[in-house]
Amino acid sequence: MTAKDFRPRVLVTKIGLDGHDRGSRIVAAACRDAGMEVVYTPPWQSIPAVVKLALEEDVDVIGISSLATDHLIVPKLMAALREAGLDRVRVVVGGIVPDNEQPQLFQSGVRQIFHPGTTLDEITTQISTYASEARLAAAETGV
Amino acid sequence: MEVLDLDHAGLVAGVLDGDRRAIARMLTLFDDASPGSREAAGSLAAHAGRALVVGITGVPGAGKSTLVNALLGAWLERGHKVAILAIDPSSPISGGAVLGDRIRMGEHGSHPNAFIRSFSARGELGGLSRATRAAVDCFDAAGFDRVIVETVGAGQSETAITAMADTRVVLCPPGLGDGIQAIKAGILEIADVLAVSKADLPRAGETAHELREMLTLRRANPDQAWKTRVMLVSAPEMKGIAELIEAVEEHGRVNGHGRRLKSPALDIRQGHGTLENSGDADVWRERLSALTERDGLCATLGISVVAGGPGRAEVAMTVDARHMNFNGGCHGGTIFALADAAFGLASNSHGALASGIDAHITFQVGVRPGDRLIARAYEYSRSKRIGVYRTEVLRIEKENKETPVSAFTGTVYIKQ
Amino acid sequence: MNKSLSSSIEQDAVELTPYLAWEQEYRESIGEDRPVENVSGIPIKPLYGPQDWQRYGHDNPLSYPGQSDYTRGIYATMHRGRTWTQRQLIGLGTPADYNARLRSLMDDGATAVSLIPCNSVFRGYDMDTVDAELLGTCGVVLNNVDHMERSLEGVDVGKISCALNDPSPFTLLAFLLVAAERRGTDWRSITGTSNQSDYISHFVANHMFYRLSLPGARRVLLDHIAYCKQYVPRWNPMSVVGQHMQQAGATPAEAMAFTLSTAIQNAEDCIARGMQPDDFLPRFTFFFDISLNFFEEIAKFRAGRRIWSRITKERLGAKDPRSRRFKFHGQTSGVDLTRQQPLNNISRVTVQAMAGIFGGLQSLHTDAYDEALACPSEFGARIAVATQNILREESHLTDVIDPLGGSFYVEALTDQMEEKILSIMKIVDEAGGMYKAVESGLVQRMLGASAQRFQNRVDSGEQVVVGVNAYRVDEDASAHTIVERPDPASMQAHLDGFAAWKRERSAVEVEKALDHLTRTAEDPSGNLFGAIVDGARANLTHGEICERLRRDLGFGQPLTIV
Repeated sequence: MTAKDFRPRVLVTKIGLDGHDRGSRIVAAACRDAGMEVVYTPPWQSIPAVVKLALEEDVDVIGISSLATDHLIVPKLMAALREAGLDRVRVVVGGIVPDNEQPQLFQSGVRQIFHPGTTLDEITTQISTYASEARLAAAETGV
Repeated sequence: MEVLDLDHAGLVAGVLDGDRRAIARMLTLFDDASPGSREAAGSLAAHAGRALVVGITGVPGAGKSTLVNALLGAWLERGHKVAILAIDPSSPISGGAVLGDRIRMGEHGSHPNAFIRSFSARGELGGLSRATRAAVDCFDAAGFDRVIVETVGAGQSETAITAMADTRVVLCPPGLGDGIQAIKAGILEIADVLAVSKADLPRAGETAHELREMLTLRRANPDQAWKTRVMLVSAPEMKGIAELIEAVEEHGRVNGHGRRLKSPALDIRQGHGTLENSGDADVWRERLSALTERDGLCATLGISVVAGGPGRAEVAMTVDARHMNFNGGCHGGTIFALADAAFGLASNSHGALASGIDAHITFQVGVRPGDRLIARAYEYSRSKRIGVYRTEVLRIEKENKETPVSAFTGTVYIKQ
Repeated sequence: MNKSLSSSIEQDAVELTPYLAWEQEYRESIGEDRPVENVSGIPIKPLYGPQDWQRYGHDNPLSYPGQSDYTRGIYATMHRGRTWTQRQLIGLGTPADYNARLRSLMDDGATAVSLIPCNSVFRGYDMDTVDAELLGTCGVVLNNVDHMERSLEGVDVGKISCALNDPSPFTLLAFLLVAAERRGTDWRSITGTSNQSDYISHFVANHMFYRLSLPGARRVLLDHIAYCKQYVPRWNPMSVVGQHMQQAGATPAEAMAFTLSTAIQNAEDCIARGMQPDDFLPRFTFFFDISLNFFEEIAKFRAGRRIWSRITKERLGAKDPRSRRFKFHGQTSGVDLTRQQPLNNISRVTVQAMAGIFGGLQSLHTDAYDEALACPSEFGARIAVATQNILREESHLTDVIDPLGGSFYVEALTDQMEEKILSIMKIVDEAGGMYKAVESGLVQRMLGASAQRFQNRVDSGEQVVVGVNAYRVDEDASAHTIVERPDPASMQAHLDGFAAWKRERSAVEVEKALDHLTRTAEDPSGNLFGAIVDGARANLTHGEICERLRRDLGFGQPLTIV
C-alpha cells in the first residue's frame, strides 16, 4: 500500500454530557476537506458506543471534543479502547482542558490536546500523522 | 508509506470465527484494495450464501437512512445478527467524506448483534462495487444472517447494487409525479420491492399508484418467480415496516438466500438488459469481476478481469513462482487456466448458463516469472445451444507491445 | 464661448463640497483602502453622513424611547430610570455549594437569582445514572424538590426574580413551585424566567438542552405557557434564545433573524391553540449573545426591537403596547474569549457588555475571564460582577438614553441590519416557518456555513484575535487558573442522600404520578406541565420525569449536519 492509496479514517465524537458541537462539526468538515474519511457522531456518545464504533469503522484516529468537563472521563475511554484491543488507535482531544488536568489525559495515552486557538491546518496535519502511525501499527500486528 | 504484507489467512480465520476486529480490518483491506485482498475475498465468498442481503437505494432525501434504522431495529428484535454497509459520497475535490452519520443517528447501533460500517464512494465505481461485494460476503461468512447495503441515491452505484444484494428495495419519496421519469429507468427495473416513503404525506398513495402503473407497462418476464411489490412505509412511525420485512423475507425464501452468489450470470442479464448495447465498460468489468471473485481457481492464480462486453472478456495475471513447472518455465496448465477463464466469462456474459464441452490450446513461446499475461476471448459463433469462442493469450512487453503466447478455442453448451 | 468655459474649468479647481473634498483627501491619503465588511456581511464605509441615513429628515423620523417602533428603547426611562438586572448565571456542585455561592454573589451586588444545573440535569438524567466524575462540574446537581429547597435556602422567591436554565419539560420550575408551596409562598408573587424554554434553538444549536422530540417539546412548551398564564402570571414562560445560534456560528444578523422567526413560530402556535396575542406576548422575552463586534451588536438589537414591534402588531395582531416590547437578556459571548493570555478577556467582556448596554438590554450576564479555561472560578465570577458595577456606576454610561441614537453610522447600520435580518426571515418563511426550516436542516446548514467562514477568517489572520493569531507572547503555564472540582466527598454524600431519599419515598405514589404523566401525554387536551408539577409534588425525580416523557413523546435527537 502506498501513501496515495491510504485515506485516514477518523472518528470525531463527543462523550459525556455536553452538547456544544460547533467545534466538532468544524473539525469534522476540515478533516473531510483534507481528504480524510470522517465518521462523525452527535454528542453524548457513551464510552462503549465509541469503542464499538471505532472498532467497526476501523478508524485510525479518534478525536474527542470536550468544551465542558467531559475530558474527565477520557481516561476511562482509553482504558476501554485498550481492553477492546484497539491500542493502535490514536486519540486526540480538542477543546477546553484546564492545565492542571492535562497530565492525567496524557498519562492515559492521549496523544495531543488541541486548545482553543489552534488552526484547522495544524489539527488536520497532526491527525494525518497520527493516522499514518496507526496504519503502520495495524500492518505490524495484523489487526 | 510502505506497509508490510498482512497475514490474510489469519484474518480470514478470524472473520469466519466472527471476530469483530478481524471483520473490521478485513473491510478496510477491501476498501483500500490492498494486495492480497482479492484472494481473501475469494476465500470468504466460498463461505458465504447463508445471509439475506438487502440493497436499499433511492434518490437523496427519500428516507433511506430512516428506513435502514427501522429495519435494523425490527430484525434485531427478531433475534437476527444484522450488518449494515452504508455508502456515502465523497467530496469530488478533496476525496474526503463524512460517513454514515445519518445511519448513526439511530438508536440501535450499540446493539451487540449489530455491525455498522461505512464506505465512501470515492468517485469511482469499479473499486467501490468490488469492495462492497467483498464486504457483503465477509459479513455473510462471519455469520451475519441479515445484511443491509445502503447506497447514496444518485450515481452509478444504483445499478451496481444488483450484484451485491439478493433482494433490492428501491425507496421513492412521495409526490414524484413527473419526476418519476427522473428516477432512471434502471433503478425501477432492479427493484424487487418498491417502497414509497413518508406514507403519511398526502401524495404517497398517488405515487404508489403511479409506480404500479409503470410496472404494468414493463415487459413481463415469464421466467421471474417474483412480481415486484409496491408498498407504503413510514419509518419514523414504523408504519409498513413489518410488511416490508415480510416482503423482503418472502423474496428471500422464493429466490433463496445468496442468490447473488449462486447465479451471478443471471444478475447480469436481469439488471442490465439494456447494457448489452450500452458499451458501459466499467459496468461490464464489474459484472465479470463479480464472477471471477467467486472463482476459486482465479483467486488462487491471481487472475483478474481487465475488460468485458457482450460475448467478450479480457483477463490478466502476472506470472510468479507458483505458476512454474519443474523446468522453470510457466506451466502450460496456468496458461490454459488463464485462457479458460476468459472463455468462461465471455460465454456466460449473455446471462444464460454456458458449460464448456471442449477446448484445446497451442503454445507458441515460453513464459517466465514476472511476465504479465492477458487473455482475450471473443465470440466466434453462437447458436441457440452451441457457442464457439476464441481466446488469444498475449505477453505484455515494454511499451505495451503484445507477443502472442497461445491460441485457444473452446465450445460451450448453452442451457435454456 | 464654449472653449473659454472649458478652459476656465481646467484652470480653476472646481470648488468641491466639503464632503467631496474630504473624500478626495481620504482617497489620496489612505493608500490602499481594503474593503471592510461586518460579520453579517454588510459593507462598512469609512465615514457616514446624512446621505447614508435614509430615514433622516423624511416622513419616518426616529421614535422616542418607549414609543413604537421602540428603536431607541422599550421604556421611556430606560437605564436612566432603572438599570439592567445584573444576572450572573451560576451553578456548581451540590445544592449546599450552590447556595453558598449564590449568597456571596448577592452580597457582591447581584440582584437576581440564576440557576444553572449540572450537565447531567440538562441531558435529563439523575445523578445516579451518569459518570460520577462529571457531576457538578458545570452546574448544580439538582434532581428533586428537596434539592431546590436547599439551593434556595434563605432566598425569598416571592421577592427576588429567578432565572432558571430549565429546558422542556421544565422540571426545575416544577420543583421551584412545589418548594414555594411548601414554604407558603404565593405563586402569584413569583417572578422570573424559564431561560431555556426555546426548544427550537436547542434542536438547532444547543443540543445539550434538547431532551424531547420536536413535536413533544412543542406540546410541552405550549402547555407550560398556558399553565403559567393561569397560575404563575408574573412568570415569563417563553424566552426565545438567539444566544445558542450565535455561539454555534450564526452571524449577528442570522441570530436575530432566526430568533425572531422562532418567536413568530411560538406565537402562532399559541394563537392556533386559541390564546389571545395580548395574553401571552407581554411574557415573551429574548436572550441574546453579545459579541465583540461593537457597533454591529448595537445595530442588531436596535433593528430587532423595531422588527418585533412591527411583527407583533401587523402579523400577530397585538394591541397592547406591552406585547410589542422586545425585552431581552444579553450574555457576553464566550466564543470570543481566548485561552491565551486569559486576563485579556476582561477587556473583551467589558466591550461586549457596553455593546449590550448601548443596545438597550434589560438584563445582563458578563462572562468570567476564565470561561475559556474551565467553568468560571469564584474569583473570575467576582470580576465579572465588578465589571458590571463599574460600567453602571463609575463610567456614567447610563446617564443618557440611547446615547448612540442619531449617529449617522449607528442609524444607517441599524437600517441595513434590519434589511439583512428581514431577508433571512423571508427565507425561513418561504421554508414554511421556523419549525419546518429546522426540521429540514435549512437553518443548521446556514449556521454551519457561517461558522466555517468565521473560522477561516481567523485561521487566515483576516480576523485578528489578540494572543491567538497576533500579539502572541510566551506564557508561563502556571499563570493559568487551576480549576477546582466539586469535593468528591460532599458529592458522594449528596449521592448517598439521594439514594436514601429514593428508598424512603412512596413507591406507590411514584407509580401513580408516572401513570398520570403518561395518561396526560396521551390526552391532547390535558396540560402536561400541570402533570409535571403534580409529579414533583409526588416526589418524582427529574430523571424519572424526563425518561417517561422521552418514552411517551419521543427522544430528543437533534439533526446534526456537517
